[in-house]
Order: sequence, then C-alpha cells, then structure tokens
Amino acid sequence: MNYDIREIIDTVQMLEVENFDIRTITLGISLRDCSSRLPQTVRARVYDKIRRTAAHHVNVAEEVEALYGVRITNKRVSVTPVALVADGASRDEFVALAQLLDVAAEHVGIDYLAGFSALVEKGMTTGDQALIEALPEALATTERVCASVNCGSTQAGINGDAVLAMARAVKETARLTADRDSIGCARLVAFCNAVQDNPFIAGAFHGVSEPEATINVGISGPGVILRAVGEVGATADFGTLADAIKRMAFKITRAGELVGHRCADLLSRKTGMPISFGVVDISLAPTPAEGDSIAEILIAMGLEDAGAPGTTAALALLNESVKRGGLMAARHVGGLSGAFIPVAEDEAMVQAARKGHITLEKLEAMTAICSVGLDMVAVPGDTSVETLAGIMFDEFAIGMVNNKTTSCRLIPVWGKGVGEMADYGGLLGRAPIMPVSKLSNTTFALRGGRIPAPIRSLTN
Amino acid sequence: MTEIRRLVERVAEAMGPDASPERVEAVAQVVIEEMMRDRPPESAGTPFVSAEPGERAIITAYGLDRPGILAAITNVVSNSGCNILDVSQKILQGYFTLIMLTDITPMRGDLRTLQQKLSEVGERLQVRVLVQHEDLFNAMHRP
Repeated sequence: MNYDIREIIDTVQMLEVENFDIRTITLGISLRDCSSRLPQTVRARVYDKIRRTAAHHVNVAEEVEALYGVRITNKRVSVTPVALVADGASRDEFVALAQLLDVAAEHVGIDYLAGFSALVEKGMTTGDQALIEALPEALATTERVCASVNCGSTQAGINGDAVLAMARAVKETARLTADRDSIGCARLVAFCNAVQDNPFIAGAFHGVSEPEATINVGISGPGVILRAVGEVGATADFGTLADAIKRMAFKITRAGELVGHRCADLLSRKTGMPISFGVVDISLAPTPAEGDSIAEILIAMGLEDAGAPGTTAALALLNESVKRGGLMAARHVGGLSGAFIPVAEDEAMVQAARKGHITLEKLEAMTAICSVGLDMVAVPGDTSVETLAGIMFDEFAIGMVNNKTTSCRLIPVWGKGVGEMADYGGLLGRAPIMPVSKLSNTTFALRGGRIPAPIRSLTN
Repeated sequence: MTEIRRLVERVAEAMGPDASPERVEAVAQVVIEEMMRDRPPESAGTPFVSAEPGERAIITAYGLDRPGILAAITNVVSNSGCNILDVSQKILQGYFTLIMLTDITPMRGDLRTLQQKLSEVGERLQVRVLVQHEDLFNAMHRP
C-alpha cells in the first residue's frame, strides 16, 4: 500500500474522534457590476448575480465532502461591501437591499451571507452613513445577513465618528432583537484592519481587489491540536510543544487546500465561469462541542484554566505554531489566520468566564497576539453607548498600533445583567454576561474626529 | 497558433481535392468550437493529485469484531466494479479494523452510491465504514 497504516488511522481519528472539519467554504462574489442609480435595478442585479454564481455552491461542497469524507461545516457566501455597490442609496433602500440579500441567501440554500459592509476607516460617504444607520433594522428584519464595518486601520488611524456610530448601531440592534437575547448583534462586527479575503462569517466580505468570484477556505481543528499537545506530555519543553502543533497544523491545512481547490474546480465547471481558489485561512475556530475548544488546549499546555497567568503566552505559542505549519502546507494563506477566541462558541471558555477566570481585560490582552478580537462577548444590556465605544476604541488601538486585525462582536444583552446567560443554540453557543468597567469615558468617546495613524504606518 | 496551423493543414489534407480555403476554414471553425466546449473553464488546478494513473479510494472500517465483515464489504466493493488492490485487516483488543485500497476507475455508479451501500452494510454489522478518495491522504501525509 502507498500509505502507512498509521497515516490512514491518523486521518480517520482526526475526522471521527477529534471533530476535525473544514469550518467554512466561502464563495466570494463581486457585486461591483451590479451598481445602478436606480435602487430596484441594483436589487435585481444583485439577486441575479448571487443566484447565478452560488446556485451550485452547496451541492458542490456536499459532493466534495462525500469524495474525501471530510465534513464541511458551513457553506457560505460573501459579497462586495454593499456600501460600495449601492453608494448613494438611502437608509430605507439599504434595509430593502439587506432583505433582498436574505432572500437570495435562502434561495441558494446557505445559512449566512456576509458583506452588508462599509469600509470607513478614514471617512464616511453618505452611502456609508446610510448603511450604518440601516444596520439595526436590516439585522432585525433578516436571518441570514451578516454585517461589518471597518472603523480603523494602521494606515488611516481610527475613525472616532464611525466607532460611535457603530456603538449606537450595536445598542439599537440589541434592543430590536431583545426577544432573542439580542441575537442580531451576533451578525454585526466592527473591525480595525479588516481583511479582504476572510472566509469566516460574520466578518467576511469580498474585498474590492478580489476577482469576480473566488473560493476561500477556513480550516478548523482545535480537537486535533489538543491531541498533539496531550501526546507530547507535561514535561516536554516549549520547542517540542511548538513542533507537535506545527506538524498537526500542516496536515489540516493540506486537507483544507485540497478541499478548496476541488470545490473551485467543480464550481467552475458547473457554473461555466472561472471561479478561482483564493486562500486557506489557517485559523483554529472552536465550536461548543466538547474537545473542540481553544481553552482546552491552553489547559492541556499546563494552565489551571484559561485566564491563569501565562494564558497570553500559551496562546501566542499556539498561534505561531499553527501559522508555521500552515504556511508550509498551503500555496496561499490569508484571511485572518490565527486562533479564534469567541467566548460563546467555546464551551471551556464559557466556563472560564462564568467562574470569573476570564475577564474582558484578559481577553483584550489575548487579542493582541491572536485573531481576532472581542468576539461573541456578551455584556450587560444596560451598558451605555459610550462604554461600548470605549471598548471598541481600546480594541482598535491594539489593532492599529500592532498592524493586525482586531474586531468587536459585542452583544449588550437587552434586559439581562452580569451572571445571567444568553443562549443562541447551534454554533453560536451560549454566552455568559461578563462585567464591564463602570468608569465613565463619555468625554473621550464623544470627541469625534479621527485618531491619527501610528508612526509605524509611515513605512516608505 | 502552430496548433491551429497544423489543424488547418490536417483538415486540408483529409479533404483532398475538395479543399477550398473557405471550406477548410469552416471545418476548422467547427472543430475549434467543439474543443472549446469540452474544455472546462480555467482554474488553478487541484494540487496533491496522485501521479499514478487511475483513481483510488481508501476504505476504512472499524467496530466490534464479528464473523463476515470482510466478506460483506468485499462483496459490495466487487459488485460495484472496483478492483481491490490491497487489504489490511487486524483485530485489536476485540475491535475490528480494516483498511482497503481500491481502484475506483472501473467503478459503476459514483462514489456516493458506493458509500451509501457500504454504510448500509456497516449499519447491519455494526461497523463504521468510510470511503475516501486517495488524494486526501496524499495531501495530508506527503510533503
């Protein structure tokens, strides 16, 4: 046989026991050719383009799943930031466009479509402003549309007006979806240094320099890495630990690359249009399933719980080792590429937060060295707009100065307070409501304008 | 361009005395259109494809040991038209494990049908059966 039996068993064990999956196959579709001065023409073109390009997306992914026996958990679509496609539209027209995207997503059989987005790190056009104003109603009246707004970058600094507008949008979305623990906020991300080829929902969008249509792959596999860490034992040194993680990351990235290429090939054939393969995003994305957790890896590395002193260093070791293995394995690596620490989606992280081992401040430190930010973090429903803005400012300052992506997917759970839980079910999991500092930052948050770009932006 | 010239020459040769520039061009046009239709749209190409000819799949089965598992699986595989290239079966602490390399080039029907049939057998005999294209193992375990 061409393969060692141990190799075959290794793969089967990853898939059968350790929850290894391809987290997402995301089809990015350019909507740049859908512009028009007439809103109804924009809607007709957008609908038609999504239907034509994504009609076979789910079928093809299922076919590839069967071919390799590798589960593809999510089959999703991202589009050009909608503010660019419909710039000049009014708030109500953006809401109508969001509702149309929802219908298009349903018709092509996907659960989430992302790209109801604007890129406003330096300033806002009237269209950008209208889109941000439309966000709460757009999210409250749809099920599948995901929105994101890039509020800062290393090159441009942080747009304080946009941050404040996003804090208001988050708060209002929480109110409008209060009946379901403010679930609308789970589909709303504010970014600093947003990336153009991120396959992971909710922050995905099809960047302006991307081709007509492309397949990006997000891999996953905390369970597989957990085994690698467990196998080296408690006395192995950091180098050995890094090596074990690296080897495992190589294998799962290769599987992701294979699946992505095959999906792009098949989809090109079925649609008759060239759909390229973009990147593998070498992120470790947890799920609420037991053993599929980043916090459990940190514990296996030798911490009592996530949040113990050493947590940030352990996460850095994990993150860097995954990148080393992944980079060697793939032709093109991109997207966010780093360990995710979404609190609600990681059961061991939920437990750590409930016990007070993980706090907002510790999470903030962790986001300085991994992707992607304060993700799926539930805070009390009475958290003020200014406080939400302050949390975003801090997070974006980390991203801006360190030239990395940071984000906030905050959920001020309407009507609930610290110690209570917000339950979303499925992959979104359940989130313990975490305490937020009561100190005021109102004067700072309301200053407006733009925080200047850091010195490191001047690289030429 | 040299390919097109060669094609035109071949067409002219085949038509013999009937060849006129217009007729040769018309025939060549039809041939080119046919070729373009068969060609899939351009894409980067799938990496990690085995260099050996043909397509192979690896069938893995595991579960509690009982008589007849290998026979039942082999039966389904051979009925599908696949050629079994290599088999390794072991009993480890009462657990049955089977790894089988098969040539699926002559397979009747598609891989999903084979998977479905093997899953049915697996359910009856209480073993889990996986069928995976060889490229996955190439990708994960070869540099």
